[in-house]
Order: sequence, then structure tokens, then C-alpha cells
Amino acid sequence: MAEKKNHAEHAHGEEHLRKKHLMLDPLPRGQMNAMVMESMHTTSWKFWAVFGLLAAITAYGLFYSWGVMIAEGLGVAGVNRPAYWGIFLVNTVFWIGISHAGTFISAILRVFKAEFRRPFTRAAELMTTFGLVQAGFSIFMHMGRVWLSYWLMPYPNQRMLWPNLHSPLSWDLLAITTYLLSSTMYLFLPLIPDVAMARDRSTGWRKTFYKILALGFRGTEGEWTHLRNAMNIFAWAIIPVMFSVHTIVSWDFAAATRPGWNSTIFGPYFVVGALHSGMGAVIMVLAIVRGTMKNMKYFIRPEHFEAIGKLMLIISMTWAYFFFNDYMVQWYGGDKWTKQLLHFHEAGPMGWMWFVMLIFNVAIPWAVLWNRKWRSTPWIVFTVGLLINVGMWFERYIIIPISLSINRMPFTWRLYQPGIEIPLGIGTLAFFILLYMAASRLIPLIPVWEVQEGQMAHELKKYGRETVVTVSELE
Amino acid sequence: MSEKFSRRDFLKLAGVGAATTAVLTGCGPASRYVKREPYMQMPEYNYNGQSTYYATTCRECAAGCGLIVRTVQGRAIKTEGNVNNPLNLGKTCARGQATLHGLYNPDRVMDPLKRNSRGGESTEVMDWEAAIQVVADALKNNKPEEIAFLMGMAPDHLFDLATDFANATGINAPVRFGALGMFEARATLSKASENLFGEASLPFFDVGGAQVVFSFGANFLETWLSPVSYTRGFASLRESKTKQRGTFVQFESRMSQTGGKADEWIPLRPGSEALVALAIGRLASESRGGPMPRAFSSVDPLEAASKSGIKLETLEHLAEMFAGSNNALAIPGGAALGQSNGLAVAEAVLALNAISDNFGKPGGVYFSALAPNQAEYQGPASAKEMVELIQKMFDGKIKVLFVHGVNPLFELPTSLEFGGASKYVSQIISFATFPDETVREADYVFPDHHGLESWGYQRVTTGSAQPVLSGAQPVVSPYYNTRATADVLIAAAQLAGGIFAEALPFKDEVEFLQSKAASLMNAADGSISAADINTFMAYFQQHGGYWKLSDARGIPNAVDVLNRNFSAEEAQFEGEGEFFFVPFVSPTLAEAGANKPWLQELPDPTTTVMWNTWVEMNPETAHELGIENDDVVKIISEAGELEVPVYVYPAIRPDTIAMPFGQGHTAYGRYAEQRGVNPADLLGQHFNEAGDLAFAGMKVKIEKTGKKQPLSRLESMMGVYGIGLGEE
Amino acid sequence: MDIKISEVKLSEEQAGKWGLVIDQDICTGCQACVAACAMENNLSFVGEEDSGYGRSMHWIRIERFWEGEYPEVKMTPNQPMMCQQCGSAPCEPVCPVFATVHSEAEQLNLQVYNRCVGTRYCANNCPYQVRSFNWRDYERPEPLPNQLNPDVTVRRRGVMEKCTFCIQRIHQAQDQAKAEGREVVDGEFTTACAQACPASAIIFGRVDDPESLVSQLGRRSHGVKHLEELGTLPNVTYFKGG
Repeated sequence: MAEKKNHAEHAHGEEHLRKKHLMLDPLPRGQMNAMVMESMHTTSWKFWAVFGLLAAITAYGLFYSWGVMIAEGLGVAGVNRPAYWGIFLVNTVFWIGISHAGTFISAILRVFKAEFRRPFTRAAELMTTFGLVQAGFSIFMHMGRVWLSYWLMPYPNQRMLWPNLHSPLSWDLLAITTYLLSSTMYLFLPLIPDVAMARDRSTGWRKTFYKILALGFRGTEGEWTHLRNAMNIFAWAIIPVMFSVHTIVSWDFAAATRPGWNSTIFGPYFVVGALHSGMGAVIMVLAIVRGTMKNMKYFIRPEHFEAIGKLMLIISMTWAYFFFNDYMVQWYGGDKWTKQLLHFHEAGPMGWMWFVMLIFNVAIPWAVLWNRKWRSTPWIVFTVGLLINVGMWFERYIIIPISLSINRMPFTWRLYQPGIEIPLGIGTLAFFILLYMAASRLIPLIPVWEVQEGQMAHELKKYGRETVVTVSELE
Repeated sequence: MSEKFSRRDFLKLAGVGAATTAVLTGCGPASRYVKREPYMQMPEYNYNGQSTYYATTCRECAAGCGLIVRTVQGRAIKTEGNVNNPLNLGKTCARGQATLHGLYNPDRVMDPLKRNSRGGESTEVMDWEAAIQVVADALKNNKPEEIAFLMGMAPDHLFDLATDFANATGINAPVRFGALGMFEARATLSKASENLFGEASLPFFDVGGAQVVFSFGANFLETWLSPVSYTRGFASLRESKTKQRGTFVQFESRMSQTGGKADEWIPLRPGSEALVALAIGRLASESRGGPMPRAFSSVDPLEAASKSGIKLETLEHLAEMFAGSNNALAIPGGAALGQSNGLAVAEAVLALNAISDNFGKPGGVYFSALAPNQAEYQGPASAKEMVELIQKMFDGKIKVLFVHGVNPLFELPTSLEFGGASKYVSQIISFATFPDETVREADYVFPDHHGLESWGYQRVTTGSAQPVLSGAQPVVSPYYNTRATADVLIAAAQLAGGIFAEALPFKDEVEFLQSKAASLMNAADGSISAADINTFMAYFQQHGGYWKLSDARGIPNAVDVLNRNFSAEEAQFEGEGEFFFVPFVSPTLAEAGANKPWLQELPDPTTTVMWNTWVEMNPETAHELGIENDDVVKIISEAGELEVPVYVYPAIRPDTIAMPFGQGHTAYGRYAEQRGVNPADLLGQHFNEAGDLAFAGMKVKIEKTGKKQPLSRLESMMGVYGIGLGEE
Repeated sequence: MDIKISEVKLSEEQAGKWGLVIDQDICTGCQACVAACAMENNLSFVGEEDSGYGRSMHWIRIERFWEGEYPEVKMTPNQPMMCQQCGSAPCEPVCPVFATVHSEAEQLNLQVYNRCVGTRYCANNCPYQVRSFNWRDYERPEPLPNQLNPDVTVRRRGVMEKCTFCIQRIHQAQDQAKAEGREVVDGEFTTACAQACPASAIIFGRVDDPESLVSQLGRRSHGVKHLEELGTLPNVTYFKGG
């Protein structure tokens, strides 16, 4: 059957290849720029309806509920003894995880020159920045006295007080701040040529807006050289930052004395977990962008879903490996409390979550993503991505409040029941989507210059009867 | 104080006072007369940061433990035990600690009030002149025999005043009652003592000196008689450094907090205590050899084993243990006495002590030392005596009822119908500090000071080897517009004139106290003595009371005990149903603790439940009935029914259920109201031979309601019971 | 799990200063210590719902378990649990703002209420689970605040708290002794829980003074320290049996 298919491809030949691969299907630059501009400017009433709804959810879920919690205290949430940490930290880890996809796609794939990345690096990077914003909200919500959160910052004061750099939370703060700043800059650098393009095609306040963002970029050879250098430096530098962030987040748990947390493999396990949920989120975003925004079917094609699907499959396998590794060593260690905890994970009142986690994170991706056709179908990968995100959220839920229910003092064991965390969590999700929707109207979601650059480098050549894709190295 | 005494010296002295918890005399807020001083000469309690310590007496129960209250700038901050008081030697129970939450409770009666209609919410604030006029009119306008006092078990000085007053004027002798006394079955103990030893006295059990202690239902680590003193005794029983660690065996159908500390816990069938005690007596006598005493000769151990549900081997082993020690002690108490055969149980268990002949010896049975100004032991009214009073009320023989220190509408079982009888009393005047159920049914409430704002004394009825009269003084000035009941009575008597005025020829309460203490001033063997009464009273307040220096416990005359016949009859249980019903006093709340928020938040020592009532049920029974933790069940007795959530309790007989007494208030402040239920609502009018209520003599039915009400527990159901951890 | 401690260890290896010895054999579970602690240290009461949800503010709790099944059922010896004032406390390094710190002078774990921002990491990391968090501003209606101890800070919502070994009493005794030019004498003062305990099951004193009562009691061979295998160097010694 595969042979037959290949034969069919040959029959269609060049035409087929062009249709399939964005890089081989160039359009005139002006037309492409216009398409991107059009996608930003075409806004239906449905967009505004969703936007308004999300704004309302954000206002209630995030800001009003938070205000209530600040005024009343954390008693309105579900945290208790012994589950002192609850959904706030689950969401923090979750959003930091989501943010990993952006860097992974735009930095790692850029460094490794994976060509399929080109149309959606921006979409992924936006997720990084906006996801980190939600992570920040979540972690501040979690604090008992958020109005004093600046005490975590090293700042000069007359009492010579200094944050405790022994605390993994201090490392967290530094790592997340570094990541937020560097990923924002890394989002911004490749944006410059595109906003310059948008500036040249806009009028009114938009022109002013793009003018400021474009920093006077005119596209001279010198400017391009500088920009490329800067992007190159950032692409390399942000990779270790990304790894460090989630490793440090994992240390919040791994460095503690709790049974079930005190595991040396948590660093890489968390990083892979972050990529797992991040890739799932990217694919969801791409499916939505492709389905709802104008002209996007040209830029985002099944080949991209196919490529990301493959990555997801590999990441799912890696995650399963780390999960098993962590479980195996903890179980074999035989510590009484750890064994009790592992048993509680599977057989306790929330045991269903543990099984759902494994099904969503491993069984379903493995069953679906091995098939090229399925992983090229947007709605299928969208569903898989959604399930992975649910599964990964459950994984964090199991690691945080459920594991906290069991400790070395059985007299205090108690379940955690979320309270105001639910509207607050939904609020962060709504705010994330809201930010994304706003961004989709303001900045080009497709890095046009990057696509055009790729298309310039790709060429179809014929050697006898064979049509071959060639890529020339730019720069 | 001379002129040379500088401020610096003063500060130094004050500092020493604070650090060594020196006790200062009642010259601060306790002062009887207001003396205006220039601001520059502040009394020591007004210095910033300086604490002042006052000795007084705890009023949370009738035991009479001495307290030292730390006050700062006129506020009572912390209670500690009075180290010098021979009863509690510096220790307190949880209720003594939380007494401050009664003092500063937001729901106290703040002014004298007239209630517009009984049971109603609407009241009018009165001034004290009018209030005293009301009392005076009540005295004057009624025949003396139509006036009655119903008083609590504390304080004693007010009881003495009322008794003197009654004796001189011919009004009814005051009746004292308290739920604690009822659940302790004090009347049964003194009656048994009278029957066996010829003296109606309250026995004292020297747990600390014993080597083997058998307790038949006595909850002496909880609320029984004098818990702080008995807990100290228990600690020295267990002490193992200078002697062999003592052994403690508890016989009861439901594991109490006391039973939880036992080395062996014997869940016998309720009602079989006398039989078991006699059987152990027989087996122990056999093991000791010699002729079989008549007391035990008629009992058949095999029968005892089958009726009590204790294995014969266990009985033999226990008898062996009891016989093998020269320092064995048997204590009757708690639910074992609150049965139809309670008196027989008390006698049989007391008789066991004859085997080790421990009467009047260390580790044995004594008569409690009488307090210094006490001629003979006077117990509170038994439930049966309360019924007599209630009958008189029904018959309209009582026109005026003064109530102080007791809350009969809550503490007495509903079936005794105090509420119904009170309708036939034309005037009920309450002196309660707290708006309790009885206040709501009273025509007037003329609030007394809180115990910590009051003068007075309390006789220590048991628990101390030395005779002790614990003294009380105000540690803070009254917070609300309250007035000492003694002062109100004195003023009213003066106003009423005639025999009333003659009966109470005092200026105020303090003068009355002085008259009572005068006889002790130069008595031999006293802890303090003085040449004049003012000095003596100052010492009395400063030391927190007066006590004799030598042991004055009585020695029971037990010559004939073993030659008597004892009844081994089992108890009769009233009502239809399959479950024995055991109400017990909540160890943390007792009868009057429910209004104190921190007592509510203390976990029950056995179940760790806070803020509510539960019913304890054996896991097997619960499983059979398909009942789980927190399921609300309806308990039906012949006297009433109530709904209560279940606590599946691993240490209770499958045929028994148990409920704590202390909650279920319909009045009594925001922390007590509408919280839990009162098991006294289920108790019928049944008494034992001594007239004590057979509170543990009921059988009840259980019905499921299908409702759930989660109990607040400190413990984890997952960690302690493995509930919700998942299948193994 | 519980490791026996040798005589030497208590006084020499451990740098502790103040310590408790708790005799579980005579502890009757009467809750007097819990009430005394609440009164001395201005603890908030939280009400039925919150207390049943693991939010009670007790600084000391009495644990009891069950052994066996009816009729051979036994209550395990009551176990009062409070901050063990670890010599190497897991709560300390994890606080990002130094709100929980080790006192060099007292060898206690201090909780600095006004520095605490409420991350609750310390409570997670406490193997004894003895920290309580102010989930709300719990109501204390007038005139109940009259009872508040002026020597102890009243905590507001969002702040962690725990047993301090009644540090206000330690300081008062030390100041007094200093003013009088002497050392603090063993038994001169004690913690609220130890002072109230009717059975004297809780004894407080200097563990670094071999002559003190706690040291003498602590040297008895069958004392255990909880979760000592974690290396926390706790300063509370328990005696389980007779």
C-alpha cells in the first residue's frame, strides 16, 4: 500500500510536493505580506463575542475572586493541613510547562535548523510569554500575604534584609524572572522585521504602534546581520535557561523531605513533562489559528501537524520512560511512607486520576500518533493535545495536593478539596486565551520574513525523472 | 510604705514579684472600696509590662482547685494552678485554663434583666436598686416555706450564706445540684460508705500509692470528683523510677479516656459489675488461701463469667493479679453506679478492697478529709431529691425560686420535668452570669459576677489529704454591670427588714466571709494564722485559701465488711431496644463548658471530635446495621428521641452505644447554642437505691435517617482508621 | 523507624539548648496542655467547619491510635506533638524570606510573623506537621481580646505559626536572672503546657545542662526521638512505655 502511495506521489510530482510543503509553495512577497495583514484585520463578531466572554470570565475568575481571597485569606481556597499547597501550584507548574513549548520550538528547532518550524515559531513563543504571565499570577495567588511579595526580591533596605538564597523558592523566582525576560526578548527580536512590514502597511494608531515596536528597522544588510547575530545568541542562550527553569521548579519538590517528592529524577522528568504539555498546547493553538483565522490554511498545513505529532509521540515515550523510572526506584526503595503514598495514588479516593493521567499521557498518544494520516489531521491532534494537557495537569495534581495528603504523621492525613482555586484557575486560562486573542489582532502571528527566507532557500530540482528538494544555507 | 522607699526599689520589688510569681494580696481591682490616688502613684498593676498575680479558686467545677491568675493592667491573661494549694499543687485541667473565655465571653448577662414573658426573647434592663427591691419583695410577700433556693455545687460560701439565711428565717433549706454530681453518683458513693463503714462520707481512693488499681467505671482522669488530683495520683501509680510501675485495669462497657490509659481494658456487660467484683473477690480469696469470706462465698465465678461476657481465665488472671499485690485498690464509679443496682455495685467494689485490707493505708481507701470549716460531709442533692423539689413546685408549694450556679433545664433530664414544674412557680429569679436555658425561663436574672470577679471560698470535698478551704478573690474588677449574689441577698434582706435583716447582719459579702473565716484565725495546724481578721483575710486571699498542714483523711471502719452479704443481682434496664445506652460527661466540656470557644475547639480525648455531639458505636454493629461514620441516626428511648451523627468507635461493646453530655444547648451563648444534642433528653425517671439517677440504666433503639453530618475531627480517618486509603 | 538514643548523644552530639521530655505512659490525653497553650499564646479558634478540615490552630496536639480489634483493643499511649525545635530543621532553609530561622542564642526555630509572606513551604517540609497557618482572620469578638497575652504577637491571616517553647517566658526568665546577676535556674519557669499538665507528663528545661531534670530524665534508656533518622536533631524526647 505504501508503494502504491509513493507511486501516486510520483504521478502528481512537483505539484503535489508544492501543495504539501509550505517551503516549496512560494507566493509573491507582497501577496504574502498582504495575507498576513489581512488575517490580523479580519475580525468577525464571533471574535468579539468570545473576547467579551473571556474578558468577563477573567474579570470575575481572576481579578474579583483574587480580590476576595486577598481580603478573606486563603481560607476561601481548599488548602489545609497537610495539603498546604494546592491547585495554585499545580497551575503554576502547568503554565510554566506550557511556556516550555515556545522556547523548545523556536530555539531548539531553530538551532537544529528544523525547517518545518518556520510558520509557527511566533505562535509558540507567544505561548511562552503569556503562559509565564499565568504562572506568575498563580504563584502570587498562592502566597498568604501577596501584598508583601516584593520581599522575595533582593532590594536594598535599611534593615539589611535579604531573601534566603538557600530556598528553592528563591531560585524559582530568579529562574522564572530570567526566563520571562529572556523569552520576551526572544519573542521580540524576530518580531522586528514583521512589525516593520506591518508599519509600512498601516495607518493611524496602528502605524504609531508598529513604528515604536519596529525600532526603526528598515531592512538594511547591517540591520539584518545584527538581528541575526542577536537571535542566534538568544536561541543558544535560552535553551539552558529553559532547562533550568523547570528543573528548578522540580527542585521545589525534589529538595523537600516529603515522601514521594524526594526524587533525584524529578529535574528531567519535569522538563519532559513540560514539553509534553507544551507541545500539546502548541498543536491546539495551531489547530485553532488555522481553523479560525483568515489565510492561515496557506501557512499552517497538515505537514506541520504531522511533524509536531511525531515530536509529541517521542516526548510521550520519553515521559513514560521517566515516569516509570521514578516510580520504579521509589517503589523498590521500600520506604514505608513512600509505598503508602504510591498505593494512595493508585487506590486512594483520587485513584481514577492516576489512571486517567497514564491513559491521556501515554496510551492515547501512542495509539493515535503512530499513524501519519491521523497525526496530520488537525482535529485529531487537537484532541490528543487537549487530552495530554488534561493528563499533565492531573500529573501535577497528583504530585502536589494528593501527595501532600500522605506524610510521616498519619494522624494528620487529610484530603484536599479545592475551593476558590477553581474560578481562579479558570480565570488564568481565560486570561491566557484573552491575551492570545488580543495579540493575534496586533502582531503578525506568522513570522512572514522567516517563511519567505525559508522559501527562498528551498528549491525543487529535477535530476532525470526524480524531483528533489534542495535547501541552500543562508547567511 | 515609708518615704525612703524609692521608685527604683519599688520597681525592683515589683520585678521580683512578677518573676517568682509572688502572689499579691487583694488590693488591686479586688479592692472593696474605691480609693482615689493621684496618677503619679499608680498601683503596681498599672505599670506597663508588669504582671500582677492573684490567687483564687477555679469555679469551672466544684473540686476547688487553687488558681493563680496573671493579670496585666487590670485584665486577666492566664490562669495557672496554685502551687501551694494541696489539692492541685500548681496544676489545672483544660477547663481551668479556659475559664478566661467565660470571663471575657461576649454573651454574658451584662445587666440585671426583667423578662417580659418566660421563654421569650424580650427583656428589660433594670437598675440594681429595682432588682434588690424585687428580691426583697419576693422575701417579704411570700411565706418563708414558699421560698426555695436551688444552687450549684460551687461556690460554698454562697451556699453557707443561703443555708444560714434559710435556717434563721424558716425558708426552705437550699438544694444543691449539679450534673457532674449526678454523673459521679456522689449520693451512691456516700450511701455505700454509710452502709459498709457506718459513715456517710465521700471515699477517697489513693490511686498514687497503689500497685494494682481496678476501676469499675470510675472515670477519675476526666471529670470524676477531682480530676486534677486523681490525675496526679495516676501519674505516681505509673511512676517507675523509684518503684515498680503500677498496673491499672478498667472495667467498663465503653472505653473512656480513663479506660484508654488502662493496661487491661475489660469490656463487661453493663449491669454485671457487682457480680464481676464479687467473683473476683471470690477468686482472689481462693488464691490467697484461708477461709472464704462470707461476702464472696455465694457467688459463682462461672456464672459471673457467662453473664458479664468476660472469660473465666481472664477473671482468674485478674483475681490473681489483685490477690498478688498488697497494694491493690478497687474503685467504683461512673456509669457502673448509674444503674438500678448502682448501690450494690458500689458496695461490692468497695468490699473488694477488704481483700488487700487497704482501708486507711497508703494506696487504699480513705474518707475524704473534711474541709476546715466543715463538720460533716454534705453531698449535693441526688436526682431523687431533685424530684422531691420538682414535686413541690408542681404542687404549688413553692412560689419563689432563686436559682444560682446551676442550669437545671439543661442539666436535669427532661423527663424529670423541671420545665413543667417551673410553670407552677410564680416567680423565678436567676443569678446566672450566663444567659442559659434556665435564665430564659426565669422572670428575672440578676447576674452574679464571674468566678474570677468574685469573693468566696470553696470547700475541697475530696482529692487532698489535708483539709482545704480554697479562697476566692476578684482578680479583675467586674467587666459588666453585675453584682455579687451574696451582696444582693444581704441588701435585699436588709430592705425586707425583720427576721430577714436579722438573719444576714452583714454590710456585704466580704464581711460575711470574714465572719465565716474568723473561727480559723488562730486554729491549730493551719497554713496561716493572724491576730486580727483583716490580716488573716489578707493572708487568706494572698495564699489562695486556708488549709491544715496534716493529713486528716478518715479511716473507714471496715471490720465487718467481709462478713456481710452482698447482692450480686444484675441491673435492670428500662426501655425497649437492643442497645445499652451509656451517656458520659464530655471530659473537655463537662456540664458548663460549651459556651467557651476554646473548650469547643479542644478535641475530645477519645474521639478527637470538636464542636459537636456524636454517638459511639462498635464497628461490627455499625457494619451490621449498614451505618458508616457521620451517618445521622435516630436514637429512641422511652423518654425521648434525638438525632446524632455516628462515630464508629473501636472500643465499645457491640451491644452498647455511648454519647457525651455537654452539648445540645438551646441557650447559653453563640458558641453553645444549636450545637449537638443533649443525651439527657433520652434519660427516663429511674433511680438506683441511693436515689441517684440510673443514667446508664436505659436500653434504646436506633433508626437510620439517611442523613449525613460530618463530624469535625482532629484525627485523620485515613491515618488512624485507614478509611479512604483504598483497598489493600 | 524510631531509633533509640544513647546517653551520650543527648547532651554532647546535639547542640540543643531547651528541650522537652514527654512521658506518654502517664499522659492522660486530657487536653489541659492544649488549652494552656491556646491561652498563653493567643491562638485563634477556627470553628467547627475549619477545624474539621485540618485548619485548627493547635500548636500542640495529642495523637492517639488504636491497636488490635475489639475486645482486645487498646488505645496507643497518647502522644503530644508540638514543634520539636529541631537542631537541623527542614523548615528553615526553604523559607525564601528568612521568616523561619534558627536562633543561635536559644537554639530554637523562630517564626518571624511579620516577615512571613505565607508560601507555606516550611509547613510542607516539616516532617512532624506541627505548623499551623492562619487561613483567615479568625474572629475573636469583644471582649474576648481582653484575655490576649500582651507578650505574644497576635497573628493575622496569611502567616505561619507554631510552638515557640513559650519563648516569651524564656526571655522573661533570662531578663530577670540577668537583672539579678545570676543564671536561670532549672525549673524556675516552664512552658504553658508543662505548667498545666496535671500528670506532669511534660517536663521542660535545658538539655545542654546534664544536671537539669530534662537531661536526667532524658538519659533513661528507652527514650525515643521522632523521625530522628531524617537527621532533624529534634529536642523533644518521648517515653512510650513504663
